[in-house]
Amino acid sequence: MADSTGAAAPKPSSSVKLVLLGEAAVGKSSLVLRFVNNDFQENKEPTIGAAFLTQKCSLPTRTIKFEIWDTAGQERFASLAPMYYRNAQSALVVYDLTKLSSLTKAKHWVAELQRQASPGIVIALVGNKLDLCSSDSSSGDEGTGLEEEEEEEEEEEESETAGPGAAADGDARKVGTREAKAYADEESLLFFETSAKTGTNVSEVFTAIANAIPETSLKGARGASGAQTALGATQDQSRVNLTGPRGEAGAKEGCAC
Amino acid sequence: MFLSSLVQKAQAFIDPSLATLTPGSDRKPSKATLFRHQFRLPDSQNPLYEVTAEFTLSSNHTVRPNVTQGEKGRDKVQGTHHVGKLHLSEQYLCFSTQGSSFLDSASTSASSSFTGQTHGAGPAGNGFTLPLCAIRRVERLHTTSNDGSSGTQKLTIELAGSRQQCERFCDGLKKGLREGVKEVENLRAVVSECYSEYLLDPSRTKEAAGKAKGKTREPPDAGLDNGRNATLIREPTFHKLIRVGLPNRLRGEMWELTSGSFYIRLQQPKMYTETLAKFQGRESLAIDEIEKDLNRSLPEYPGFQSEEGIGRLRRVLTAYSWTNEEVGYCQAMNIVVAALLIYLSESQAFFLLSVLCDRLLPGYYSQTMYGTLLDQKVFESLVEKTMPILWNHLVKSDVQLSVVSLPWFLSLYINSMPLIFAFRVLDVFFLEGPKVLFQIGLAILRINGEELLDATDDGAFISILKSYFARLDESAHPKSEIEKLRAVTRFQELMVVAFKEFSGITQNTISEQRAKHKDAVLDSIESFAKRTSIRNLGPDSKRLSTNDLGFLYDRFYGTLYERQQRLQMIQEEAERQRKAAGRRATEIVTGVPGNGPEMGRVGLGPSPTQMDYDAFREFLAGIAKWAVTDSPSSPPKDPIAEKQNHSYLSSSTRSRSASLSPWGSGPEPADHEFMRRLFRRWDTDMNSSLSLQNVVTGLAHVKGTRDIMSSISYFFELYDDDGDGRVDREGILRISEALLFLSRRGLEGASSPSRSMSTLAESGTITSEQDDKDETRDEQFLSSVSAFIRRCFEYADPDHPMNQGSKQDEEEPVTSNADALDAFSIGDDEDDEEDLLDFDNKPASPATKKASINAPDTPASPTPQAVDSANGSLTFGQTQSKKDAKSANLALDPSNPLHITLPTFRMVILADEMLENFFDSAFSNSFRLSSAPSPSSAVSVTPTLTTFANAGSRTSIPAVSPGGPGAGVVPPGKGIRGMLDNIVTDGMRVAVEVRRRMDEAQKELDRTASTRGTEDEEDDDDDQYAGRASGAYGGEAERRSVREGDRDLLEGAEAVDVGAGKERAERLLDLDAPITEEPIAEDGAGAGKGSERTASVETKKSMVFER
Repeated sequence: MADSTGAAAPKPSSSVKLVLLGEAAVGKSSLVLRFVNNDFQENKEPTIGAAFLTQKCSLPTRTIKFEIWDTAGQERFASLAPMYYRNAQSALVVYDLTKLSSLTKAKHWVAELQRQASPGIVIALVGNKLDLCSSDSSSGDEGTGLEEEEEEEEEEEESETAGPGAAADGDARKVGTREAKAYADEESLLFFETSAKTGTNVSEVFTAIANAIPETSLKGARGASGAQTALGATQDQSRVNLTGPRGEAGAKEGCAC
Repeated sequence: MFLSSLVQKAQAFIDPSLATLTPGSDRKPSKATLFRHQFRLPDSQNPLYEVTAEFTLSSNHTVRPNVTQGEKGRDKVQGTHHVGKLHLSEQYLCFSTQGSSFLDSASTSASSSFTGQTHGAGPAGNGFTLPLCAIRRVERLHTTSNDGSSGTQKLTIELAGSRQQCERFCDGLKKGLREGVKEVENLRAVVSECYSEYLLDPSRTKEAAGKAKGKTREPPDAGLDNGRNATLIREPTFHKLIRVGLPNRLRGEMWELTSGSFYIRLQQPKMYTETLAKFQGRESLAIDEIEKDLNRSLPEYPGFQSEEGIGRLRRVLTAYSWTNEEVGYCQAMNIVVAALLIYLSESQAFFLLSVLCDRLLPGYYSQTMYGTLLDQKVFESLVEKTMPILWNHLVKSDVQLSVVSLPWFLSLYINSMPLIFAFRVLDVFFLEGPKVLFQIGLAILRINGEELLDATDDGAFISILKSYFARLDESAHPKSEIEKLRAVTRFQELMVVAFKEFSGITQNTISEQRAKHKDAVLDSIESFAKRTSIRNLGPDSKRLSTNDLGFLYDRFYGTLYERQQRLQMIQEEAERQRKAAGRRATEIVTGVPGNGPEMGRVGLGPSPTQMDYDAFREFLAGIAKWAVTDSPSSPPKDPIAEKQNHSYLSSSTRSRSASLSPWGSGPEPADHEFMRRLFRRWDTDMNSSLSLQNVVTGLAHVKGTRDIMSSISYFFELYDDDGDGRVDREGILRISEALLFLSRRGLEGASSPSRSMSTLAESGTITSEQDDKDETRDEQFLSSVSAFIRRCFEYADPDHPMNQGSKQDEEEPVTSNADALDAFSIGDDEDDEEDLLDFDNKPASPATKKASINAPDTPASPTPQAVDSANGSLTFGQTQSKKDAKSANLALDPSNPLHITLPTFRMVILADEMLENFFDSAFSNSFRLSSAPSPSSAVSVTPTLTTFANAGSRTSIPAVSPGGPGAGVVPPGKGIRGMLDNIVTDGMRVAVEVRRRMDEAQKELDRTASTRGTEDEEDDDDDQYAGRASGAYGGEAERRSVREGDRDLLEGAEAVDVGAGKERAERLLDLDAPITEEPIAEDGAGAGKGSERTASVETKKSMVFER
């Protein structure tokens, strides 16, 4: 898990404001709790307004301190959201893999962010509650040009038609990987499917965001070392899936956390 | 726009203590409102009597004797005395030492000058609020003193006023008490849920008293001795005790009493259970949302992890969501209710939640949460005022205060502070009102001021406060030498700072601030809502520009809002009139039920989001000029016309004044079948109303596609009722009607330059060649439509091929036929001679038409034969025998159903330049969005289909045939617009007539002699009658007479045309066979010979129409 003890030598440190958005009860707070405290609570109180937490993520060349704004999900709180995503450099738009409507809402948020948030905001689309989906139904999509080193749950399964309502037998999954991935690619979003309960992919999401933040937009970040030693995935974050259009692909580095 | 209704609502609710609750009255709150707020009474209570009184409470608590004359003197000596005002309302006897007056006769200044902690927003001063039903006995001690004894408790009240005043008060009291007797059972039920009853149960009095004494110092004793639950007396120590904290056992009922929810519960004791029962099993969005959060309400409190606890929470939240659907459920309510349920029964919690949402925290949990946002602004401004240094620091370091403070307010500190402290805040909050939240918030910032000044970002800011809340139970001055000071906890310190240092923050302060920031907050909510709403309209909306969407949004909600406002005005007007004229009351009252649907819309809430058909018409009238009616309602004096025009608004009183017109100042919308179809088509949710989403999606399909093919398909589908890909005879006629309807004000796509008004007006005849050409374009459309009908029937596929006898082509499978038609190559696989002929003619057909159109300039040049040949098989019409007709063309035989398919339809459209043009651009262009000037203003100068410059001919009305008045006559004074409208009406009438003819033919088959079904054309009926009389040939003659009627109809149209353009009229009506006309006079009422003579010609003409 991500924690601040990873780096021995002092590295340039900068803070990144990250906001979580998404429909109610998709697991925004749980993702944060997993990332920050490596903990999971079955019944987490709904967030009122927003919660604020911080966590450091150590990259080979620098340390990123996430200032995480975890917002309330209920529809009527949406009008408060601008207050929270103001000045955010990154956003996690979360949906529930077992609830189709949550992806629609996520798309709304993406559209809102793209038009209203600071330009160049790094957005990650995250499908949560992977633990409720049987593993074989999460088919990844090919064609992003990234090497897929490990056979994880995002294994290619071309035959799988994971569209809306195409949940596999006994599987709570309602949103197919392919559909969401296609959308994410189209909108140039980072894309992950996670489980806050098991911890799957959680730190990867934050690491990927940390990597995707352009150096220039980092507060107090010196021109980070040009040595892009860890191009691609050096650690076992094979899923760091930076789909080019944002232009930060060069900044792909593993995270030491 | 749609949120502007919120502004209104906000005015009423954002500040209940100052704003009016009843619409219609002026901004100043009524005295009754103030009275209710002061004593936290239900809305049904009004101040009836008031009198200055001295109130004495017996301090003798060990002995509770019934009051007797003898004891009275002693009580007076021993008890505590308070001087104040005694108020009597319908069901309550209230006393307060706070000098205030609520009677209507009292001056305003007296009623609104409040002091004390609540400033009129809650019970202040000493006193009591007694439900009359709780009074068991009242004895009169002296002539001037009253003594009420309730249960084991005794109050002595000495009235100080004139004798008359006192007597009046006592009479009122007597009456109230008598009424109150009915309520006693309610009271018993309500009180039984109060813990104090259990506590005072004689069997356990001793034990309970002992326990209570041991645990806390004063509160239980003081509270109980000064009456319990309903009969609580506010002694001077009352407010202080509340701030010290309530004992857990009594906390629930004290909350109820101080907030006033107790009195509401007393009023409707069964409401909670009834609500639950009523909506049992129903589903709603709110319930879904509630379910999500049930497991996560105070999860650390074990009571809410059990099925029982969750069930209680579910029931309370659900019941509230039903009683206030506008609020429904908002996250944070679950936390608040969970906290309440620790101390309250379900029904108690339910009523307390109602008071919380409706009165104490108005707008906090609403859909837009405007109350929350507003109070954040207020809080920020208070911080700026009271702690300028901290505020400047916040601004400098770009920390948004509301990010921190919003949850405090929204969840009443319950999830910010440890529960035990949050409850202490609640204790005071329920008594003193919302200002407590501000005071506590300010105190928190003040106490942490030093540290906060070091924080430079949100993160640091938040963590300082977080750790502060975590250490509330620690000593505030741990290093102090003085032991007493060390014992003061941080929370105690907080309370002291809040209520001492910020005692200047009163309810009035809050109210003023709210009023100041209200507009800005609502504006920002509005723009956010609009932005979000437009963005979330889905992929279809992408076909429209953002400007267009913005326009649609405004227009949509604008229409709804205006309608609602108008309705309100109308209702108020009706109300006023009913009051003004008592004798007419019944009329109005009966008119109201007819207005049911509209009332229902208001019931949808302050900001309806659904548009019904009438609203849709109005909406369309604003964006498409064809949707503006041709026959605006006549001056209100004409009741008949009025009835026709707003039959749904049957009460004539309502539209009497212009401002109260059902359409407001905007153009009155038309009501055409096409609009109804459009409405149904857009109403994808099948709930007879349109949301913005529906409208945008619908328009996106119309306007967003520039593809002629999809535009044609769209139109076709509109008329394909059962979705089987076919449109029947009826539908074809309807389509043509719609085409005429849509084009009657000219088509933008049809590049015809606007004909100037002046030209039209001055010309008794057609004057300029230019005009001639322009008009021709418009007429062309009419003829195109006519040709359209003809072709549709020509190429229609019969429904039952087997019935069609010997025709070969009819054996063809419909689909292949259709495909072939679509490809314009049907001739290849068709053997039928007629069809071949048709298709041979096809390419030439536009030319032919042109010829025929131009023909009238040289009357009679195309011979009937020529027309026949041009039109192929279409000349069957004159055959009067049914059998012949059938063999000639089955299309017209009503006994043979037929239909056209989409490919056929497409082909027919594409075969005509005008129609092609229409579908290519004109149709979608007819919806004008953002950049459009108001269509209503365009109406009067738009080129129309009118071709006769008959300004002069209007004078020749007497010459008009009886068939005319309804059809072609231009009512004097209606001007050119009216005239043009009439022409169009005529065109449409033709279509109507054609269809009617079909019906008749059908009837004729049954040989029924006199069957006429025209409802609205009496003149026509007359003609029919005349024709029939003169003909007297039985069925066949009747048929002819029908034709005569038809001709009359046509003549009616032509009548306008007397002076100049008879032939043109024919052209307008698309007479493919121009014929030499007999004088119009000839077809007067008598018809007779002349008609007969021309019968065959006329017949032909009408048959052409039929096609």
